Amino acid sequence: MINLPYYPGCTLKQRSSHLESSAIAAMEKLGVRLSEIDPWTCCGAVPPPSSERIMNLIAPVRMLRALRDSGENRLVTICDFCYNVLKRANHSMRTDDLRRKRVNAFLRENEPVRDYLPEEEPYGLPDYSGEVRVYHLMEYIRDEIGYERLSKEVSGRLEGMPIASYYGCVMLRPRKEIELDDPENPTIMEAFVSALHATPVPYPYRTECCGSYLSVSAPDASSRLAAKILGSARDHGAKGVVVSCPLCFYNLESRQEQIARSSPGFKPMPVIFFTQLLAIALGIDDPDVLGFGMHRTSLEGLLGASAIGAASGSGREKDR
Amino acid sequence: MKRVGVFVCHCGINIAGTVDVERVVEVLREDPRIAYATNYIYMCSDPGQDMVADAIREQELDAVVIAACSPTLHETTFRNVSATAGINPYMCEIANIREQCSWVHTDVDRATDKAIRIIRSIVEKVHGNEALEPIPVPVTRRAMVIGGGVGGIQAALDIANAGLEVILVEREPSIGGHMAQLSETFPTLDCSQCILTPKMVEVSKHPNVRLMTYSEVEDVSGYVGNFHVRIRRHAPSVNWSTCTGCGDCMEKCPSKVPSEFDRGLTERGAIYVPFPQAVPNKPVIDRDACIYYRTGKCRLCEKVCQIGAIVFDQRDEIVEEDVGAIIVATGYDTLPCADLGEYGSGEVPDVIDGLAFERLLSASGPTTGKVRRPSDGKTPKEVVFVQCAGSRDPERYKAYCSKICCMYTAKHALLYKHRVHDGQPYIFYIDVRTGGKGYEEFYHRTEEEEGVVYLRGKVSKIFRDGDKSVVWGTDTLTGRNIEIRADLVVLATAIVSQPGVQDLVRKLKIQVDKDGFLSEAHPKLRPVESITTGFYLAGCAQGPKDIPETVAQASGAASKVIGLLANDEMQHDPTVAYVDEDLCGACRICISVCPYDAREFDEEKGVATVNEALCEGCGACVAACGCGATQQRNLTDGQIREMISASLGEA
Amino acid sequence: MDDRRSETEEQRLLLRKEAVRGEFGLSVDELSGQHLYACYQCGNCSAGCPLASEMDILPSMVMRLAQLGQKDELLASRTIWICASCFQCTVRCPRGIDIQQVMDALRQMALREKVDHFGPDDIDPGLAATVPQPGLVSAYRKLST
Repeated sequence: MINLPYYPGCTLKQRSSHLESSAIAAMEKLGVRLSEIDPWTCCGAVPPPSSERIMNLIAPVRMLRALRDSGENRLVTICDFCYNVLKRANHSMRTDDLRRKRVNAFLRENEPVRDYLPEEEPYGLPDYSGEVRVYHLMEYIRDEIGYERLSKEVSGRLEGMPIASYYGCVMLRPRKEIELDDPENPTIMEAFVSALHATPVPYPYRTECCGSYLSVSAPDASSRLAAKILGSARDHGAKGVVVSCPLCFYNLESRQEQIARSSPGFKPMPVIFFTQLLAIALGIDDPDVLGFGMHRTSLEGLLGASAIGAASGSGREKDR
Repeated sequence: MKRVGVFVCHCGINIAGTVDVERVVEVLREDPRIAYATNYIYMCSDPGQDMVADAIREQELDAVVIAACSPTLHETTFRNVSATAGINPYMCEIANIREQCSWVHTDVDRATDKAIRIIRSIVEKVHGNEALEPIPVPVTRRAMVIGGGVGGIQAALDIANAGLEVILVEREPSIGGHMAQLSETFPTLDCSQCILTPKMVEVSKHPNVRLMTYSEVEDVSGYVGNFHVRIRRHAPSVNWSTCTGCGDCMEKCPSKVPSEFDRGLTERGAIYVPFPQAVPNKPVIDRDACIYYRTGKCRLCEKVCQIGAIVFDQRDEIVEEDVGAIIVATGYDTLPCADLGEYGSGEVPDVIDGLAFERLLSASGPTTGKVRRPSDGKTPKEVVFVQCAGSRDPERYKAYCSKICCMYTAKHALLYKHRVHDGQPYIFYIDVRTGGKGYEEFYHRTEEEEGVVYLRGKVSKIFRDGDKSVVWGTDTLTGRNIEIRADLVVLATAIVSQPGVQDLVRKLKIQVDKDGFLSEAHPKLRPVESITTGFYLAGCAQGPKDIPETVAQASGAASKVIGLLANDEMQHDPTVAYVDEDLCGACRICISVCPYDAREFDEEKGVATVNEALCEGCGACVAACGCGATQQRNLTDGQIREMISASLGEA
Repeated sequence: MDDRRSETEEQRLLLRKEAVRGEFGLSVDELSGQHLYACYQCGNCSAGCPLASEMDILPSMVMRLAQLGQKDELLASRTIWICASCFQCTVRCPRGIDIQQVMDALRQMALREKVDHFGPDDIDPGLAATVPQPGLVSAYRKLST
């Protein structure tokens, strides 16, 4: 069993707990234990604009630096927002000398914070300069486990199932900082779907934004975007949409009633996290693990009634 | 001591605005090393030149220093003036007080002081100069042109018509280049093949032209006037001297690969001529595509060839030639649609590039000039043209403007409208650039008379939806985003340098810019010459340009070559390295540092020598020589020491 | 006739050197870390913006008005609050401008001068209890002080 340092972030502990539970169980099956780093804090979720652009880096760099100091050089995360923040903080530490010095100076807790920057490290460990490789869990599966091996490990439960991948925005963009895949023509999710023996469905809206936080501030605008994305996936023959981001899941799955109200002709579309799909393919059907009870839109159209019934027995709906 | 005269130029206000030229002359007149000093507003003008010549005669000067602009501009001018006035031209030197002084400073007092120091240092140089005569070098009066597109053809014809021999080397099986693919040309709409093919035939039949198609330059050695080239003639696997070009072999060939000439819109066999009007009109076997070369079976072409012209075991041939000058006219390529991710990565069948659309419009093309889209052969009723597809995009693709797309896109839209009367063309553009004779008028005609809708904005995304190609763009003039469900999309992909250019420039030892286009010696005053002497540039290999510009540059390059090869010998600059044989330690470091292969070793005497014809006077060996044996004429260590002292002394 | 004429006259942007490449533009540059004048108005950001149909002015026009120093018009626009920071414009900008950072900067400037665009009372309680944290954090960080 491989021990892999894992950063959950706030959402996976609460409102998207089924993303975490399915990921942990599925990765166990693949011989990888996601071991939560300790302690961890919020990554910041979104960088606030400021002329210095320093404060947003403190939280992620603090964690990454501590991880490096403990001798680790890898960290996996699942939430797209956390991934984006950690990846961009890393990029900044690798490429921006001034910000690296400032953030590290700030983090050197035993030292008084000075308004000038020392030329040389006076003592202690060297500056954190992006040494830890931050993985998205899907990236870890692609690069370290390999889709070839994965396709041998999974059962044929998803054989031929037409599934559309939805990338959203922060998993791929901005390109230079994330470098996970080509933001115009990504393949990582479709290849993942193929590795699970399901059939990836290409459709033009897979990288179009779902509205992100507009579901909070401008819910109607968000609904219109979601209706286009899900409608396009359906038109191209998908029976379900796979996502990796908790906010995408919320916008595309949990808000389908609101979407239907504002978009006449909208038909419900099953939406599922990639980790749930992976868990099913690996033969897991513990309802607590799969967490189908957290879904608001029926998965029946995708998985069939029996599979849902077996898996949604206890229904963890604590957050609803 | 030599009588040295100094002539300070104002260059209008270019120098005089920052350097107090009157004071410079006053100070220099006090200098015991200077016999005469004066100033004038434009020293390079006729009265200025006369002033210098008169002073040389009247003041009995032995040497002159012209304090003016960079020697790259007017050194030759003033050396000619000096020669006319009766002194050796190498007794004339330029002190650059413009680029190296007035243009880069603002403080008048300090700039004036610096100008005086620069002049004094050059005065010391000229005191140490010796009279030199140019070195005569014999010249091979033949030329080679690399690339058989319209530029190469034009250059070869011009040189051949001047009575000189030319070798025209073309990589592809036929000459003609991209122009042979085009339908009609802007802004006159004359048929491209109709004006090109006569030239192709003419060049192939010209008694002074040796045409080598399906051939590539292997390497080049030597120097201007005396190049030695090795050319690889790829084996066509066909005996061209017996082949009649009947075409039976091509008809029977069972292998099918996409035709490069038709941009993949049709297929060709493994044995093929690129297009029916090819010159020479003889087939070659593409061994990568040939079933026999891959599996050992087939040989169908051999069976059908009645004269037995197929030669499967034919080998590449290396031809060696001596030439005096080389024109590089290797042309361009276009950015592959596959590189444009947001435009469908080349995977949307009805999204094609401009050259493919040329084939669709061409009367000799796969659809005999009827516009049919690739996916289902239907006539497209709504066609979107996308400009700047990969151009003007420093972040992801090419920073430069590809120059010809505005015009050929307008032409595309117009020709489409002529072919499909009820069709609607749209053009997305960022700026429309129509500099050229008759170009702006042509653009207005497409907009006004042909009903082409111009939309100002870049296209963001193209994707397939059913049998439509959906284009997401914007029109910044109305502030509205645009969606067009098009039947066909034509991308004006960026002009890029040939993929093999790096390999070629390494062989030729010439220079390219960051985008892979050949560098010219001077962007304004020497636009057809390479930085390396003896090489000349023509066409898109040097940068995106249209047909008239390419032809003009080709003729310009050809006339440079004709001038160079006009005499049996040429004059080489005598400011080369020389060796004091008593001092040479025979360490041979000079040979290892020389970039021109000009340093040799005389085993008999045990000393290093200089091939004066090859030496460019760069000074690398002079600097490297540990014992001071190698010196440069008119720039010896002693002269440099005096120049440093003069520039550091009291102003 | 005369009235209409004066009306049109008023609609002209009165450009002054204080506005063009002035303090406002410099502040946007500083806050966003971008160079407004790198923009050559190709319109790619607008063409690809998934939220353009919800905006009153397109992203490329935001860039243009910022270049011309039209602070008041920009800070009053609906566009800056509709941008969802999806980075689509950023990855496609041929000049490498991070346009969503410019949007962020403009939001920040508006927030510094005015009241919150989206306050704590504006959220639906049911939504507040279910939306994932990144949604809440983003909304409040970008749209309120």
